[in-house]
Amino acid sequence: MDIDALGACLTTPACVVTQTTSGLIVGMLLFLVAAGVTLIFGVLKIVNFAHGTFYMLGGYVAYTALGATDSYALAVLSGALSMALFGVVFERALISRVYGSNVLMQLLVCYAVVLIFDDLVKIVWGPEFHAMGMPPAFQVPPLFIAGGVVPPFYAVLIGIAGLIAIVLGLGLSMTRLGKTVRAAAINPQMVSVLGVNTTLLFAIVFAVGGGLAGLAGALAAPVRSLSPGMGFSVLIESFIVTVIGGMGSITGALVSALLIGLVRGFGTIGFPQFTDGLIYVVMIAILLLRPQGLFGRST
Amino acid sequence: MKVGPALRDVAIAVFALIVVLAIPLLHRSPAFEDFVIRLSAMALFATSLNLLVGNTGMVSFGHGMFYGFGAYAFALMMQMTDVSLPIAAVLAVLITTFAALCVGAICVRLGTDYFAFITLAVQMLFYSIIISWQSLTGGDQGLRGGIPRREIFGFELASQLHLYQFCAVVTVLGLLTLRHISVSPFGQTLRMIRDNEHRASFLGIVLWRARLFAFTVAGAFAGLGGVLAALFVSGAYPELADWPNSGQAIFAVMLGGISSFLGPVLGATILLALNDVVTRFTEYHGLVLGSVILAFALGFRRGVLDFIRLAWPGRLR
Amino acid sequence: MSGLITRRTMLGGSAASLLAAPWVARAQANTLRVGMQSILSGPIALLGTSSRNALMMEQDRINAAGGLLGRPIEFVFRDSKGQPQEAARLTRELVNSTGCELLIDAEASSGAFAVQEVVRDLGVACIHTNSETSSLTADPKIRVPTAFRVARQGVHDAVAGSAYLSEYANAKKLNKWATCSPDYAYGRDTTAQYLQFFKQFKPDVEVITEAWPKLGQPDFTEVITKLIQAKPQALFTLLYAGDLSAFVNQGNIYALFSQIAVATPNVDYPVLAAIKNLPAGIQSATRYLETFPNTPANKEWGQAYLKRWNERPTNWSWQNTVAMQFYEAAIKKANSLDGKALAAALTGMKINTPFGVDGTITMRDDHTTIGYAIGWGQTTPKEPFIVDVKAADWGKIIELETDWKKQQKYI
Repeated sequence: MDIDALGACLTTPACVVTQTTSGLIVGMLLFLVAAGVTLIFGVLKIVNFAHGTFYMLGGYVAYTALGATDSYALAVLSGALSMALFGVVFERALISRVYGSNVLMQLLVCYAVVLIFDDLVKIVWGPEFHAMGMPPAFQVPPLFIAGGVVPPFYAVLIGIAGLIAIVLGLGLSMTRLGKTVRAAAINPQMVSVLGVNTTLLFAIVFAVGGGLAGLAGALAAPVRSLSPGMGFSVLIESFIVTVIGGMGSITGALVSALLIGLVRGFGTIGFPQFTDGLIYVVMIAILLLRPQGLFGRST
Repeated sequence: MKVGPALRDVAIAVFALIVVLAIPLLHRSPAFEDFVIRLSAMALFATSLNLLVGNTGMVSFGHGMFYGFGAYAFALMMQMTDVSLPIAAVLAVLITTFAALCVGAICVRLGTDYFAFITLAVQMLFYSIIISWQSLTGGDQGLRGGIPRREIFGFELASQLHLYQFCAVVTVLGLLTLRHISVSPFGQTLRMIRDNEHRASFLGIVLWRARLFAFTVAGAFAGLGGVLAALFVSGAYPELADWPNSGQAIFAVMLGGISSFLGPVLGATILLALNDVVTRFTEYHGLVLGSVILAFALGFRRGVLDFIRLAWPGRLR
Repeated sequence: MSGLITRRTMLGGSAASLLAAPWVARAQANTLRVGMQSILSGPIALLGTSSRNALMMEQDRINAAGGLLGRPIEFVFRDSKGQPQEAARLTRELVNSTGCELLIDAEASSGAFAVQEVVRDLGVACIHTNSETSSLTADPKIRVPTAFRVARQGVHDAVAGSAYLSEYANAKKLNKWATCSPDYAYGRDTTAQYLQFFKQFKPDVEVITEAWPKLGQPDFTEVITKLIQAKPQALFTLLYAGDLSAFVNQGNIYALFSQIAVATPNVDYPVLAAIKNLPAGIQSATRYLETFPNTPANKEWGQAYLKRWNERPTNWSWQNTVAMQFYEAAIKKANSLDGKALAAALTGMKINTPFGVDGTITMRDDHTTIGYAIGWGQTTPKEPFIVDVKAADWGKIIELETDWKKQQKYI
């Protein structure tokens, strides 16, 4: 532990700005993955343990698409869209068969998918790790804002993630589809009786959730390493985010993802060897004091 | 509880024990004996989890923490002190029981989903403590240098045959005890809580106390499984307490069947055998294992033993 | 064996017979089976696959030369998935039911320690090929009579690296250093060893900040910004493989490498292949490099590997190759496969091999190898990727290693 260093950092504006922005970056990418988990749980009451797989596949698809098209934008788009499609297939072919089953049966199905796709990735792309490389447009020096360092690439990522948070938030509260989704989260039978095609609705939810995870994987591919099994650590982190924020709450996911980002940003200075432990302590404390999470509806 | 079924359980246990102990006398197969040793640890682990999942309706994602706790407590005691092996084993189980009591006291009041997640979080905290507390646990490399397996009553646990016999006896006794708990009036109470906690509550059952007791007992037997695992690998490793290990127990329970007492044992057998066979033929065992699990989950939609019991009612317990 | 199946079928019913089949060893009497276990799946599968590739080449070479003791050899590969308890099981399985008479343990460190305990019980010959943790063979309590290590050893690398880096730091006047290493035993222990020797060689060095990212952490942003703010003159990092690649890519967009000098022992061919914009001038050790030692034999082996597998070898590849070269020589000398006889033959044995700094590698009597190539140089984006390689001084390495062992009370 290094409390002195933490104190010194907190009293230096440059340190606060830089660690806060790096916390934002970590948090925003985390939010993109966690948003899907919380959306799917909110509507379908399914804990999607295969969500890390969507993230991984999104990254790999983007990697291949970049090689084929030489365009980062197209690569990201294909990563997101292919995972949206994959989300629908996953929901229709597998998950729809275990609606209403024991939560552990759903876990079993998701786990099987994780196992299968980790190996398929290894067969298709090889066991070694890959890196996509930074697109030339972003190979520019970082910006200096209020003494803090912000690379343009990350500024764009934060922008995209922020935009998606807004679109999701507004979409859920303002549009007809969003209202239906929220209604289905509260009482799916009633929504179904009212003539809404819940089959279609559930597929859409999985498409959005999967697409977001694929988008996160594709967006992060230039700076992160691609390897089979890479989805696991992201999955665990997005669970933590979902639980702290409140299962089913998009706002909660956003706030808690940023919270985790900040804990990482300052934890690495104050508790470099126990940052993870710190996050679990936060999670346990929240579950005890407010089991439904920061923004969850109490049941 | 009638006397009849209890006697029948004991008779089955004694018969199973005799069969298992007789096999090496007829034919020595080191691979088979290794399998049974590993299975014994896993069977206790999975069956204890099912006391929570199947009996009480408490889905714990963090049960591996007690498996790991038992392994570390036992291995550390054997390495650092001179106590004899049975005493170290009993103490390790007692310490694990106490740990389960403490963790349970924090967790059992939460509702189903939150209970699953808080047990997961506590397990991950426990895991990161093992990793961080290097001076005691050896960190990610685990406890090195082996467990001194001191002789007890002419019993030498470094010998594979003796370890086999030891594990068989411990496991059969452990399973018998768990069976006894599960069919006892207390076990009935737990099932009532699972099926309708409000009704149980109206009948004057203190929910949290019953749940805490179940959680503690389950933790104790997981710890016993951990002791056997530590003996098999002659050490303790953080992987024993990690999340995927909890997952293994969950899969064993689900594959075998949550409504049958022996379901988790069957599930553990399938899982271990599948792992052992598949890893021989391909490095893509995840692909094979995943496909098999998927076939089971979507085909049967319940554990094998539960499925058989539904298909042929009255044939099995 | 068929008797076993019948009996168990009677006892245990159909499930047991299903299980019994794989327990029946199908070894042809004449073939010499060599068990090899490693991590063949998950994020560090490269450890196992690049070890396996090298061993397949050795299998072909040895069999073309008439096998061992006149018997053709055949490898049996197993995947432990990096789990120690699975590693322990596999060692037993390879010997007890697959009929392997020699073992190559290509596990990472935690698996290697588990294998070590099983080998202690079984008494079979085993060579650890990938664990670099010094205590595996240096600590007499952990050492096992029939188990050897053919691999780098952490303490050797630490002495060699510190000696090189202290000269480099003196020349460039770099006194303020930062460290950034993965937060697990290898990262922590090896960083501590490097710093200990570094301070010995250059007492005025100062470590102003340390960062400990988690192994396999996807995002290093907060670590990188922490390092930038501490304003060190140089950074020492033990990140490797995918983590190193991600760290370099993320550091690049913060222009980290134009601000501080970077030193790492871990730049190897897979990292070079994966990183598109490798900064020039990183000080790095040669894990495996075709041009160091700069001999035709080394180059020839590297090219043969590239040709056969369409990728370049790793550090793990040469280590496994040398392990088989040691087995080959020891079996010839002992004329036996017995664990004790092989142990006697291996102890003190010196063989000719392209990977020795002077064309030889020696198995010291504490069961670990010395004399293998350790060099440091600086990176360049094009072939040969690491240039100006300086060979480490093995005299100095052994002298300081002995001091270290005394300090640890190993001798």
